[in-house]
Amino acid sequence: MSRLVKKSPSLCTDLPLDNTVICNKLQLLRQLLKSCFGPTGRLKQVHNNIGGHVVTTSTSSVLLPAISSSQSFINLIKTSILNHVSRFSDCGLFAAILCLSLIEQAKQSGLSGSVAIGVNKHLLGLCTSYLQREDCGCKVKLDFCSSHNLITLASSIISSKPACVLTESEVLHISKLAVQAFLLTVPCNSPGDVSLGQTVSISVEGHPVLNSAVFPGLLVDTPDDLCLDKSENQHSNPLRLVLFSASLAGDLSELGDGKIDMHPGVDTDSQILDQLLELVKRVVKDEVKVFVCQKVIHPVVQQYLKRHGVIVIERLGITLMEPLTQLTGAQPVATLNTTIPAKAYGKVKDLSILQFGSKTMLHLQPPGESSICTMILCHRNETMLSELKVACQKTEHVLRLTLREPSALLGGGCTETHLAAYVRHKSMKEVTETVSALGCSRTEHLRGVDGFCRSLESVAAALEHDGGDSVMDLTHAHHWTRPADVMKEQEDSSGFCGCGLMESSPNQRWTYLNTNYQEFSPAPLSGGAAVQPRVLDSFTAKLNALQVAVETANLALDVRYLIQDMN
Amino acid sequence: MLASTVINHRQHVGLQKLSALAGITHSSLGPNKTYKFIQDETSGESALACSCFRVLENLELTCGVGQLVYETVQAHQKAYHTGSGCLLFLAGAWSRAALECLQRGVPVARIISAMSEGMDVCLDVCRKCSVSTEGLGVAQSESRTATSQGLGPHLSKTPTVEASRASDKTLTASGRRKIKLSRHFYETKSENVPQPPLPKLPDIAHISAGLSHGCVGAMTLVVEVSRIQSRSNPQDVSCSTFDVTKVVTCVLPGLPQEHACVLQGCIVLVSHEQASVAHHLKEQHLKVALINGDLSDTYRHLGFKRLKGVQCVSDRSHFSSSTKEEEWMEKTVTRLLNLEVNLIVVSGLASEKVIQRCCTHHILVVEKAKASVLKALAQATGAVPVTYATQLSTHCVGAGVKVAIWRDLSSHERKPSTTVNISTVESSGLVTVILVSRVHGKLQALEDQFWACAYRLHHTLTDKVLLPGAGVTEMLCVHHLHKQAEQKHHTVQQTRAGTAHNPYRGLVLHLMADGFIDYISTVLVNTGTVSKVRARTAVSQQLQDCTQSRGIAATFSQLFLADEQEDGAAAAAAQVYDNVSVKQEAWRKALDLVLLVLQTDAEVITGIDPKRDGPQEDVMLL
Repeated sequence: MSRLVKKSPSLCTDLPLDNTVICNKLQLLRQLLKSCFGPTGRLKQVHNNIGGHVVTTSTSSVLLPAISSSQSFINLIKTSILNHVSRFSDCGLFAAILCLSLIEQAKQSGLSGSVAIGVNKHLLGLCTSYLQREDCGCKVKLDFCSSHNLITLASSIISSKPACVLTESEVLHISKLAVQAFLLTVPCNSPGDVSLGQTVSISVEGHPVLNSAVFPGLLVDTPDDLCLDKSENQHSNPLRLVLFSASLAGDLSELGDGKIDMHPGVDTDSQILDQLLELVKRVVKDEVKVFVCQKVIHPVVQQYLKRHGVIVIERLGITLMEPLTQLTGAQPVATLNTTIPAKAYGKVKDLSILQFGSKTMLHLQPPGESSICTMILCHRNETMLSELKVACQKTEHVLRLTLREPSALLGGGCTETHLAAYVRHKSMKEVTETVSALGCSRTEHLRGVDGFCRSLESVAAALEHDGGDSVMDLTHAHHWTRPADVMKEQEDSSGFCGCGLMESSPNQRWTYLNTNYQEFSPAPLSGGAAVQPRVLDSFTAKLNALQVAVETANLALDVRYLIQDMN
Repeated sequence: MLASTVINHRQHVGLQKLSALAGITHSSLGPNKTYKFIQDETSGESALACSCFRVLENLELTCGVGQLVYETVQAHQKAYHTGSGCLLFLAGAWSRAALECLQRGVPVARIISAMSEGMDVCLDVCRKCSVSTEGLGVAQSESRTATSQGLGPHLSKTPTVEASRASDKTLTASGRRKIKLSRHFYETKSENVPQPPLPKLPDIAHISAGLSHGCVGAMTLVVEVSRIQSRSNPQDVSCSTFDVTKVVTCVLPGLPQEHACVLQGCIVLVSHEQASVAHHLKEQHLKVALINGDLSDTYRHLGFKRLKGVQCVSDRSHFSSSTKEEEWMEKTVTRLLNLEVNLIVVSGLASEKVIQRCCTHHILVVEKAKASVLKALAQATGAVPVTYATQLSTHCVGAGVKVAIWRDLSSHERKPSTTVNISTVESSGLVTVILVSRVHGKLQALEDQFWACAYRLHHTLTDKVLLPGAGVTEMLCVHHLHKQAEQKHHTVQQTRAGTAHNPYRGLVLHLMADGFIDYISTVLVNTGTVSKVRARTAVSQQLQDCTQSRGIAATFSQLFLADEQEDGAAAAAAQVYDNVSVKQEAWRKALDLVLLVLQTDAEVITGIDPKRDGPQEDVMLL
């Protein structure tokens, strides 16, 4: 007999964003994420309460999944940021901080939800159309004739992950490798539909970062007792390869659950093994020289293959299947029952053994041109290595995005301050039309604009973590930081702005971020091509992050009731 | 549910934790090791630990920093087997340095850049003061004078000068080749081209004495291993072989420590019945089969998934699995007898029945063999390791193995008690070290010490260079850090915003050097009778002398020697060495740990339930 439990009534919160508990939690989340932002951001140790493995990170894609909350606002923001990151890789923290700032500013301004939402939406439109303009002052055209800007873009992403603990030369080395790997994955001369290749990354712990390298082709782990017979390889160049996705372990694992009735006299194991050996015999007859299986290969089968001079690679893993098929042209064989058609076989040009630290790897080189490459990442310890791996994957993705839209945005907070100045100026100029279109008063509009711009500026200011001042110049509206420890007399020599395009000069006028200033039209830099920006952000990722942040904030501001099922 | 602790900036809790954890290593530095008891209050169990690594292993570290420390030390121990104490001590010392910086208001980014620079200085010192192992100890009498003048700069010169001279020679040789293009001239002249001299092999006995770091007993065993391995290596003429992968330890409790010894071959413990088989097989050349896995009918290779939910449908109910086992056994034994195998070495377990059945056929089954043993036996006998006994065929079976009973350790217990030595006719280089102690609790420490010594020698032979030990390298680092700290930063200001002038550089480097001073004086205190105060004064005195350009090494190592037992071994112990790679890696890992913790300002703990765990201090719930 089941027990009846009285259902408890649902809990309904009216105007949830006015609730202090909820606001405090949002504030805490903002603090947490803000402190992670940028190259000098602070790290977070993520672990469970019973002393599990510790992850040290400042990357949104690692940090956010660890955050789970009973608060639906936090989950809403988390989900939309993670969704952005999964599609664009970069600018996750930017989006999160901007979104939380927008919510906070809207609350502080005392505007009604609908007005704040309307103004935000309008200003987002201003921003996106400005960013897409040819003469946008914070955009840089990427020139594929030189790798310089690509390397800058890569190094901006890699250096924004302080948990990698890299020196400047190490950042440069990794950035160059990332660009090299990216270029290797772009096919050179294939007509028609072009599909990008893939970079496979392998981590090697305990080696200096500068030992990291990129190889064309694939590297796969091999047992250390493998020896290549070079002379034989030369004979039938290129070598024939077969690739199995089905398990060759000799078990019946693919049968699934359920009861099986079996006669005790039946020896399934040996029957399957016989079948496997039949299959392998045919493969050997077909002069296959490299035998690869995604899963386990029965030891007896391995023994048979090795005795016939076939190189055996087992437990390749699902992640390498796709790159290997691209590299060799082999079609994975998923069944053990039919004969393998000749076209399923792939080809490898050359094999060599590569020793990397404790790892012995087999280097498979493509028969023709191929866009598969392998990146070996080395770092001194596991924590830093895993962060480095994440950073490199993001870099690869961002570099790919440049193929779709060959532009980049100025980094180091300069885009944010520039946009804020632009938005202030532009909305002042068009205030009458906007006010009538939005149906709000002039003061409401002003407060809305101010909140939006302050949110943008606060993202730029979030880059500073050591108590320094964030300032903006009043000509080009670039972002500058002054370390807290700089003496007064050195003030006029504070070097370069965040993106590195501008050098400070004595007659420059400044304003502290998040203070009132007379709006002005930020002038685009007229400087020649001699000065190159030192920090660049992905255009596509940042544009989308901006949209995600504003739309998520608007959605949050639009919530009237929160209904919680208390059962 | 998530909770996060926000760490107070000026009093960084993480760094404090790191420093506190490092406190446990203080007594494990230096040549005189002391034991520690770790007691579990709830269960009443306790553990005896001697090394830093074993202490950490026995502690239950639940906090984030603790976990990070443990992971780092574990990774280091796995790769190097030595130097974990140094790693953790310096992590603690430098975390105190970082704390001091934070208290003085130095921004985190400045600490990081200055400390990384300091590390570069130290690694550079290591490179410069490292001593080539080539002919070390052989040329002892010549280099004596050099050492007394100052070890650091002088010794580093000798090898580099020689190297440059060697390259000069090759240069001229190739130059000559270029001019004399004509083959007539070339042929005759080439004979005059001096052959590159054979590299002088390191003197293991001398080096290992300097690497024992107080574990003289363990190092003696290591030297003995090398002696045996050299003897069985036909190419070796000067006793310089040492292959750590072919060393196995065998731990026997209950015997007095003097019985520790090194034997060629592999020593395994077997039961009475197996011993009688071994007795029967002695002084014969045996055939051997190697099994990778278990020797039983139910064993399947790794990755094999068994069918679940199989029901037997049969009209005869007495058909049970035992007959299947019987069938398998019959097949296996027949195969073994056909192949005339006398010895099976199994990496996994062998079922009791198989062992017994094999005994009746005079086949010796040895279980739980290490991978290195299997590999060495495979190399020396030509056997091919297989997974299943059914795979065995003539070409998988190796020949030329000898079995001998080494010692009967019969006790009243039922445990396997006879030790059997398995060796090969053609030497495999496999060596077993017997470690014994009457006190059971000491065995693990003895084993750890042996491996530490073994790996110190191993790293030396792979590095081919050594560092002057006994704190000399650290002293040089302190000296250089001080020098760098005084030096004004390169006057040419780097333009890059991040690397601009760092006003705290001097302070940070000084504090980093203090970490080394702390290390040296702790080692001094642990070495002997010196008090902490005296140790510190001695170190600072030494530093002063050093700045007045007198050699560090000579006088400083005197300081250590003064406190050692005066049993006439002073001359042999005159040189203490450290491993370059181990030391550099330990330092780097220590600094990485500090930098990671320093940059961390919050912990995100998942899985906290506020209802169950109750409200916790300084935890905020999201």
